[in-house]
Amino acid sequence: MTGITLAVPSKGRLEELTREWFAARGLTISRPGGARSYLGVMEGEPDVTVRFFPASEIARELIRGNIDIGVTGRDLIHETSETGPDSVHFARPLEFGHADVVIAVPEAWIDVTHLHDLADVASDFRSRHKRWLRIATKYITITRQHFARAGIAEYRIVESLGATEAAPASGVADIVVDITSTGSTLAANGLRVLDDGVMLKSEANLIVSRTADWPGEKKKKLNSLLTQLAAEPL
Amino acid sequence: MTNAAMRRAQLEALVEAQGGCRATPPLLLPADPYFDLAGEEFGRRLLLTADLTGAEHCLRPEFTLPIVRDYIADGTRQPAAFTYLGPIFRQRETGPAEFDQAGIELLAQTNGEVALDQVFTFARAALSIYGLPTRIRLGGVGLFEALLVQADMPAAWRPRIRHRFGHTEAMERLLARLEAAPDAPRQEQPARDVLIEDVTARMVSSGLSLSEGRTPEEIADRYLEQQALDAAHVPAQTLKLLRDYLAISGDVLSALRQIEALAESHKLMLGAPIRAIRRHLDKLGEAQVSFDAGFSPRLDYYTGIVFEMTGRNGAVLASGGQYDRLLERLGATAPIAASGCALWVDRLEAEVSA
Repeated sequence: MTGITLAVPSKGRLEELTREWFAARGLTISRPGGARSYLGVMEGEPDVTVRFFPASEIARELIRGNIDIGVTGRDLIHETSETGPDSVHFARPLEFGHADVVIAVPEAWIDVTHLHDLADVASDFRSRHKRWLRIATKYITITRQHFARAGIAEYRIVESLGATEAAPASGVADIVVDITSTGSTLAANGLRVLDDGVMLKSEANLIVSRTADWPGEKKKKLNSLLTQLAAEPL
Repeated sequence: MTNAAMRRAQLEALVEAQGGCRATPPLLLPADPYFDLAGEEFGRRLLLTADLTGAEHCLRPEFTLPIVRDYIADGTRQPAAFTYLGPIFRQRETGPAEFDQAGIELLAQTNGEVALDQVFTFARAALSIYGLPTRIRLGGVGLFEALLVQADMPAAWRPRIRHRFGHTEAMERLLARLEAAPDAPRQEQPARDVLIEDVTARMVSSGLSLSEGRTPEEIADRYLEQQALDAAHVPAQTLKLLRDYLAISGDVLSALRQIEALAESHKLMLGAPIRAIRRHLDKLGEAQVSFDAGFSPRLDYYTGIVFEMTGRNGAVLASGGQYDRLLERLGATAPIAASGCALWVDRLEAEVSA
């Protein structure tokens, strides 16, 4: 098998931008079966099979090595598995899909501006309120890693799959870890990002799976494709 | 019988011979108490599952918590000894998620130091079954707490420093911050009631409950405390003491001598916790013992002395110590002394075959 599988986000703005990005570099991706089809082709590149996936599945399948290369957000690679970043090669950023994974607290917490303030608040939260400080987020892996590095252990994660920014007002959690590109949704919900609260700067990346099989011929093909895209070879 | 099976049988015999009760907690346990006790950092290691009601359970990740909870529920408060040997389950980077752990728990013993000696003896006996030399790394939680109480600094800094004990990077960041604290002229503080009013208004406007989480009073008070702290410096001499102390690591006798010298020059009374460590050394005889002043598990219920026994390449074979605050954390109404240790059976066996 020397064919290369390229996974592209299957819908929305991310799909559009990805296809535009490849097209701008002379590689047109088409979807012969229309928006409902999950198979595509890259014109003039018979060795490349294009498959359309949801962005989070692209991250998972790259880490597992079930697909060879793909376009998805850096945040999803970090979130899917602790070993995610080691399992892939970030070949190049694509200059769209910018967003930061941030820690935000209620704007009313005027005493909490940095992570070390949060560490103080978390450490005696339990004795004051008979429960742990609660953090709403869908970024469980990233949050645990970051907080462990910061020496904060006294908290509980409340998994939130949507409208995370509403969690403090609805009483589900005290603070949030969320993704934001401008911070305006957070601000509109009375939340403020800590001064050192950016955990991860993310954008869409062209990503190569390190766990996929790369026999010589196939790797050569990959690297020539990457070179054509001004991306870093594997 | 293979050699490995023989060692295993001897370990079984050792666990049975401690004169305690052999504890066999269920394999499936409620997950919440683990999150409550040890937070997300330990929680990420659990193998979780949910029942039909959505309640979360985990496969037994260790023995201490279920043993201690049962003991508290019994309500006897009598001295008790428990031992265990059986499978536990944890997510690990390498190695299978199921592996055996053996250990001992000594609760409400009249003499906590004698209890710790028994724990040491148990762990050393286990290592000797595997033909391994005893290499012990000691940490002094009680020693550090005694030093912190006496060190000259604004009181509000003590819990902040204590909280970072055992986390080298977090401690380093805090000390660096304290050392760099600028000599800013103190600003006029807003009045407490004005602050509370302001915070209340902000909370109401963003729809936050004023009572479910942090209250306006709590936020205002911490804000004022923080402002005061920024002005109230930890003396440079104290910061140097902390750095010098935390850097002490090595052979236990020379480490203790360094600590005594440090205590002398800073006029600190550390005699009692140092004597406690020395007393145990007499009993440890041949073992190779080191002391690491910055070493502590990152769990605030540890007290007194903590230890690890290590193999080649630093693999932890046994870990434990004194944790007199654990039973209260789990609901006991009065302090109850506790000590014990856990043995990593697969690592013990791996040391032999390596």
